[in-house]
Amino acid sequence: MSADTQLADDPLLAVHSLDAGYGDLQILTDVDLTVDVGEYVTVVGPNGAGKSTVMKSVFGLTSYMGGTIVFNGEEIHGLPPEEIIHKGISYVPQNDNIFTSLTVRENLEMGAYILDETPTERIEEQFDRFPILRERQRQRAGTMSGGQRQMVAMARALMLDPDLLLLDEPSAGLAPDLVDDMFDRIDRINDDGTSILMVEQNAKEALRRCDRGYVLAQGENRYVDDGETLLADEAVRQQFLGG
Amino acid sequence: MGLTNSIELRELWETRRSVVLLGLFALVLCVDLLARLAGVEVGLTDSYSFGGALSLTRFGGLLWNGIVIGLIIGLAGIGLSMTYSILSFANFSHGDLLTTGAFGGWAATYIVAAVGTIELGSLLVVRAAGSVSPADIGANIVQTPFAILVGIVVAAAVTIAVALVIDRLVYKPMRDRGGIALLIASIGVALALRYIIQFIFGSRNRGVTDTTGVRVELVGISVNLHQLTLVVAAIVLMIAMHLMLQRTKLGKAMRAMADNKDLALVTGIPTERVVRATWVIGGGLAGVAGYFVVLDRGVIGFNLGWFLLLLIFAAVILGGIGSIYGAIAGGLVIGITYNVVLIWIPSDFNEAAAFALMILVLLYRPDGIFKGVTTA
Repeated sequence: MSADTQLADDPLLAVHSLDAGYGDLQILTDVDLTVDVGEYVTVVGPNGAGKSTVMKSVFGLTSYMGGTIVFNGEEIHGLPPEEIIHKGISYVPQNDNIFTSLTVRENLEMGAYILDETPTERIEEQFDRFPILRERQRQRAGTMSGGQRQMVAMARALMLDPDLLLLDEPSAGLAPDLVDDMFDRIDRINDDGTSILMVEQNAKEALRRCDRGYVLAQGENRYVDDGETLLADEAVRQQFLGG
Repeated sequence: MGLTNSIELRELWETRRSVVLLGLFALVLCVDLLARLAGVEVGLTDSYSFGGALSLTRFGGLLWNGIVIGLIIGLAGIGLSMTYSILSFANFSHGDLLTTGAFGGWAATYIVAAVGTIELGSLLVVRAAGSVSPADIGANIVQTPFAILVGIVVAAAVTIAVALVIDRLVYKPMRDRGGIALLIASIGVALALRYIIQFIFGSRNRGVTDTTGVRVELVGISVNLHQLTLVVAAIVLMIAMHLMLQRTKLGKAMRAMADNKDLALVTGIPTERVVRATWVIGGGLAGVAGYFVVLDRGVIGFNLGWFLLLLIFAAVILGGIGSIYGAIAGGLVIGITYNVVLIWIPSDFNEAAAFALMILVLLYRPDGIFKGVTTA
């Protein structure tokens, strides 16, 4: 079987009956989740549902307890993050997601650390995507505004041109008028061919934007469907979207 | 006009009394210093007087000695500051890394300077039994510059090797423990290292350098060539350090890791390799600093690093722990204070003055001089 046919048939990321947690504490039970090539998937749910834990588990940041995670046809569960990043997944944490004392440009260079040489054309690509970062490239990232920091964080993660981008609550802490702008940028990243798995507290907006959504509660899958359907679903609205 | 001025002064006094008192104290010291330099003396009581006689040469000498010791402390402080920010613990064995470098480096210098003329055993242990005199070996920058150069390189190499072995044996298995556990482990390492050094090299403090011809006249000023060597070398190393951190990929990764370890990990920065690089650089600079302490003082002993450790810590904290520029600046401030206060107080107390200054700075800048300005 050639790699191509496998890619065509199988999802990019397939999480199957995953159990995971922190130390001895199990958070996720029997979670299933898939992301197809080019797809934009969000995970929503109440606080403490384990949304971020799903994402951290994919990136090897939790204790693996059972199940499988297959990425590009390769089992990656139990691997540490420094190996997973070589497989083509990049992760943008929710908090502290930039190197505050480094300049914007240095943040991007660090994003490509695992490559032998820093690809200047990739830096240019990110500057084209986020023009404000080109202007501010010599500025220390910690001195920038919330929205600009989030751009630095995403640009850093995109430096490796990943197949899958993991975004943990990208709208958290942003001023309301910047949230739309941020979601527009994420749409564009997805349009450019990067698959996205995003966790969001802003459930309505996230479901409106994505291809498919997962509703997670108490560490288990509750609902899976395309975003618009979930938004319209009476039970989902009642329980998770505040009516 | 006069009225508003006095009201302002009064407000200043009431709101910032400690600053005003401190300013006055500093002013008195400055005036006293100027009076002394000018040779003006005003008797206050039988035993105390204001001003006095202080030659410009002596003042310049104190200042210069302060810069020399300050650069050594700064050099040593860079490593301490880096291990603090990248490995997240205060390394109490850092002083004994200086001692390691001092003995390793001077053993190498002795061997290069006098192998063949003097029995190898006493060279290797840096004349532990005292059978030969420094003059027999003749290790100094005029007669044996190559031996000194080799000594500097070996001091760095030996200390790097020791630091890496210690990291592998002690700190690596404890990597995920808290800073307190590592700190206590480092005190154990400090004791072990110090007594291993004492076991090998003996407990005697002894003279090491031959100072014949080391003091020379340069453009009318009397200069100690050993001090000049170490000042130049220290400044070159500090500039190299700066360029490494700002320009190279590894240096940037070190700053990134000092800034945010979790993010460094998810970014794919090989954190263990950065940790090793930290020991290589921090250990190497500590070893060179230890070698320089002996080059400056002319005396070696198994306690030399341990006794310097508090001053190094003071410098690093004063400068803002985690910042290498802070370590350098803090080292200079501590070193200069340590020497210049000798104008006013006896040498038994000058260390106390350095610490008092550190406390004063921290009262007004709790995070040190450089904190929040530049990291790593």
